[in-house]
Amino acid sequence: MKIHRIYAVSLRFWYYFRHSFDRMTDAFYWPTMDLLLWGLTSTYFRQYIPNNANVVTMIVTGILLYIILWRGQYEITVNLLGDLWNRNLINIFASPLKFWEWITSFMVIGIIKAILSIAFASGVAYLLYKVNFFMYGFNLIPFLILLIMSGWWIGFFVAGVILRFGTKVQTLAWAFVAIFSPFIAVYYPLSVLPAWAQKVASFIPMSYIFEGAREVLYKGSLDYRKLWISLFLNIMYLIISLIFLRKSFDKVLEKGLVKVY
Amino acid sequence: MAILSISNLTKKFKDFTAVDHISFDLKEGEILGLLGPNGAGKTTTIQMLLGVLTPTGGEINYFGKSLGQHREEILEQVNFSSTYTNLPWDLTVRENLTFISYLYNISDRKKRVARIVDIFNLNSLLNLETQELSAGQLTRLNLAKSFINFPRILLLDEPTASLDPDVASYIREFLLNQRKEFQVSIIFTSHNMAEVEEVCDRVIFINHGKIIADDTPESLAESIETSHLELVVKDGLKRTIEYCQNNNYQYKLDNRAIVIDVKEKEIPEFLRSLMDKGVFYDQISIEKPSLEDYFLEITKKGRIK
Repeated sequence: MKIHRIYAVSLRFWYYFRHSFDRMTDAFYWPTMDLLLWGLTSTYFRQYIPNNANVVTMIVTGILLYIILWRGQYEITVNLLGDLWNRNLINIFASPLKFWEWITSFMVIGIIKAILSIAFASGVAYLLYKVNFFMYGFNLIPFLILLIMSGWWIGFFVAGVILRFGTKVQTLAWAFVAIFSPFIAVYYPLSVLPAWAQKVASFIPMSYIFEGAREVLYKGSLDYRKLWISLFLNIMYLIISLIFLRKSFDKVLEKGLVKVY
Repeated sequence: MAILSISNLTKKFKDFTAVDHISFDLKEGEILGLLGPNGAGKTTTIQMLLGVLTPTGGEINYFGKSLGQHREEILEQVNFSSTYTNLPWDLTVRENLTFISYLYNISDRKKRVARIVDIFNLNSLLNLETQELSAGQLTRLNLAKSFINFPRILLLDEPTASLDPDVASYIREFLLNQRKEFQVSIIFTSHNMAEVEEVCDRVIFINHGKIIADDTPESLAESIETSHLELVVKDGLKRTIEYCQNNNYQYKLDNRAIVIDVKEKEIPEFLRSLMDKGVFYDQISIEKPSLEDYFLEITKKGRIK
């Protein structure tokens, strides 16, 4: 792997971000709107929930953590779509760029944008609700790493599907991650889910993170076993999604990169 | 010495064979024209040479090394320009050239970009987004991109399409100079036969995925025996037409001018026969067969040389 090529593709994504009003909106406008809407709603509900001063913090930190997950997958799928819309895949793959360098650049730009988005959104959360995202201390580090890993495998899986079927399934780039939302318990404890849904949730690595974050909030401690399970599942899904993406890419090479859009 | 060697290259899409066991070499400093009608297999061949389409069979060797096994090393020294692909349209000209220059790890990047921008006269366009460029400006940007890494081999798919004649002429001259100065080897596709005759040392004709001719443009043109004899007839146009029809000569009429397809060696006899029939003409011109005639004949008849 060559750093200059990873840098080149990341730079291309960065330029795309700078020029795109859509991307700016996705990075800053929607997180702000989510924080406003859900933060105000939870502030209102707090009056009717006795002994639960943490409800606003729980909802707001749920939103902030979800941004990390969403960013990780979004940067992969939407940047891939950008290259398909621009018919740019030939330009980059007729160069010495390797498949794994391309993948790494998605990850790099995902981390950079996640940091940007989370820095902005946590600032907004503090200003509006005095919720300090950094109250999780060092626990925040595994939370962020595991959530971005989850974003990556979801993103790589969707990218594989888009490569195989083209832009006619492009809506998955925005919508697919939402399929996990009911099971990962972003805003409520897993115990509210029916038994079958809890079983499904046990196979989804993000559910352990959101549940862990709530534990820290309510119990002041964290069951690290949850993080290990999440890490194990994330690694497994990441490997599977990368194999799927590589196979999809090879399939595309059989048809010709010029035909994919 | 061959720096690109293609052997039995084949591409099948299900039951359709787009490229059918083609083999050819490209020598150092050679400009090779790849010609054929639409759908003949030219672009499919170029895509396989760029590694963006997996061949069904055959070998591609650059500099004596297999493209499959030495892709990275090979593509550092190869580049392409095509009217059928875009650089990202939401990036400016400067941003596009900058990110491409990082992709190829150009040592003196800023200087190289500035030089390329000068050569292709892109200075006034640097801060424009690619989507704002005209077709001709886009072609120049694509060409600039293709030269950014000092390629030893260039694959140019209709590089002068959409260019004004003066710019196209400048680009052809530039290509010939690059070949002269740096021994750059070029594979060139174009629908402009005059351009191919001017630029290419050798031409390969592909039709239905097969190579049907491989020779110099001059030799290919000479292989066509029929010349175009143009007469502006003063008296006896009807008799001339009758004579052509009776003797199976193809002709086209334009007012009093008639263009007749006649084998070069039959022209004296043809003119004497017209004289015998009392035909008078006050202008005569003979156009020798060109590469375009060869192209037309070969695509019309599917003739195999």
